[in-house]
Amino acid sequence: MDTRSTFHWIILALSSLVLLFILAPLVGMVLDTSPSEFFQTVKDDEVQDSVWLTLSVAFMATLVFAFMAIPLAWMMARYNFPGKRIIQGLIDLPVVLPHSAAGIALLGFISRDGLLGKAADLIGLNLVGNPVGIALAMAFVSLSFLINAARDGFAAVPVRLEKAAMNLGASPVKMFFTVSLPLTWRNIASGFIMMFARGMSEFGAIVIIAYHPMTAPVLIYERFNQFGLSYARPASVFFILVALVIFILIRIFSNRANRSLVKVRVNNS
Amino acid sequence: MLELKNISKSYDNFALKDIKLEISKGEYFILLGRSGAGKSQLLEIIAGLRSPDSGSIFLNGKEITREKIQNRKTGMVFQDFAIFPHLTVYENIAYALKIRHLPRKQIQAAVRRMAENVNIAHLLDRRTDDLSGGERQRVAVARTLVTSPDIILLDEPMASIDTTLRDEVRRLLRKINSMGMTMLHVTHDYGEAIRLADRVGVIHNGRIIQTGIPDEVFSKPVNKFVARFAGVRNFFSVKISPEEGRHVAVSGKLKYKLPEGDYPENGLMIIESDAINLSLKEQKDSDNCIKGIVRELNRAESAYEVFIDAGDLFHVLVSNKDFERLSLNQEQTVFLFFSADKLKVI
Repeated sequence: MDTRSTFHWIILALSSLVLLFILAPLVGMVLDTSPSEFFQTVKDDEVQDSVWLTLSVAFMATLVFAFMAIPLAWMMARYNFPGKRIIQGLIDLPVVLPHSAAGIALLGFISRDGLLGKAADLIGLNLVGNPVGIALAMAFVSLSFLINAARDGFAAVPVRLEKAAMNLGASPVKMFFTVSLPLTWRNIASGFIMMFARGMSEFGAIVIIAYHPMTAPVLIYERFNQFGLSYARPASVFFILVALVIFILIRIFSNRANRSLVKVRVNNS
Repeated sequence: MLELKNISKSYDNFALKDIKLEISKGEYFILLGRSGAGKSQLLEIIAGLRSPDSGSIFLNGKEITREKIQNRKTGMVFQDFAIFPHLTVYENIAYALKIRHLPRKQIQAAVRRMAENVNIAHLLDRRTDDLSGGERQRVAVARTLVTSPDIILLDEPMASIDTTLRDEVRRLLRKINSMGMTMLHVTHDYGEAIRLADRVGVIHNGRIIQTGIPDEVFSKPVNKFVARFAGVRNFFSVKISPEEGRHVAVSGKLKYKLPEGDYPENGLMIIESDAINLSLKEQKDSDNCIKGIVRELNRAESAYEVFIDAGDLFHVLVSNKDFERLSLNQEQTVFLFFSADKLKVI
């Protein structure tokens, strides 16, 4: 490509604008936060609790729902059946719903009058205002990311590899765990990260299900409402930094586990 | 022994119809057919990867039509080998044994023995992504053989192999067969059938239309499709009648003298391209001599392809030496001549 062409400069200018648009508010927020404000916030127990609650609940929600979501993703990748498009639409629905509306819908389901709420009540658990309720809200709005990423991964595994495994004596369960799943690991890891990220950043649905205990997004909102921008900002910076470190660690871990695997899969397909 | 009884299976736009086939123990059977003829689907049905709509499959006297895939003892080698990319060569070969929970030492011994058998012992620690086509083929074969199947099903085993490596793979397949393994090999390549098969079958549009030993099938094809597989390019619809004590075949204005024998009234007359001789002068002593005009000349591997319009359009293979001797040119008039016994009617 001729790097001096007008086209090249237009592309470069537009790309820079978009990247600047993403970066500027974040950099501005960091620069506007003084180190003393930041460290004071880091030491604040309420902030620490909310960040820990957000991360742990989002992680558990992702982990628990992955057990159900991955088989569903495999089914969506491998089988054609009547109503498949409707089911795919259903999977994508939480992404397009306004999240406050999702929260209202979920509240009806998990409150003591709702189906799941009644069941939980039998074991003395009130899901509203409870970390389990928060996990359900996080999972509801973020599950699509994991299912879709895993479905794309399974669809990319050649069916003949699964057939070969069965011809060599593997039962369907063994075939799944020894061939399909290892070959889709990278997609699942990406979907896991996306679901985790989307879940922990959720505000709209959670604020309806559980204002308390406060997740980090709710805490930031509350500080902003109560005390203004300068109090909300250090908590936001802290939350973003923690999230960033965790994402980088997960990404490094999953890349190491899959680097060679993906290379050979591309060569084989 | 493998026996297929009236296997039928419908797909969206294709069907396998009433497939009957018997393959003896230790036999090397090649099923020939174009792509889309149903060869791979039939292998998948035998292996249990798909169920037939009707019919039965017997292997060594035991019905396996509804048997679970993993209990069938049919080892399939897929067209592109289906090597597991996330496993090493050793792990690929050991896969079936690990699944059966054999002791580790037994697995190691079996994998090494099998790898030595197919000459890949030096590759055992390698990942599979940088193996050559021939090496991948060997891994796939070893991975299948280690399960001690009763029959090996080979789906176009040469299709993903460089031409230069095919002799090597053929030697490997012959070696496996010589150890007593029953082989069912599907291909579209007539040459493979000639080189490897004890018996061949030809499948077309989901039906097996002819089976027999290769010489018999290709010298007495039952129809135009089978004849095409044998490389025959000259087919003419003819009416046959007795004339002056022998049979003649009439195609348009042309008459061909046929060898002695019984013939139907109508048939398809065939003659192989290299059975036709060319001359610049009429050959009155020949059973059949026809005047024609050269329409097209193409250089082939070790000869020239010449298309000659003599009323019927003939495809003739001319050796380089004859081509130079005759100095053939387009639109040149030549005489085609051949003895009656080169003609066959199917």
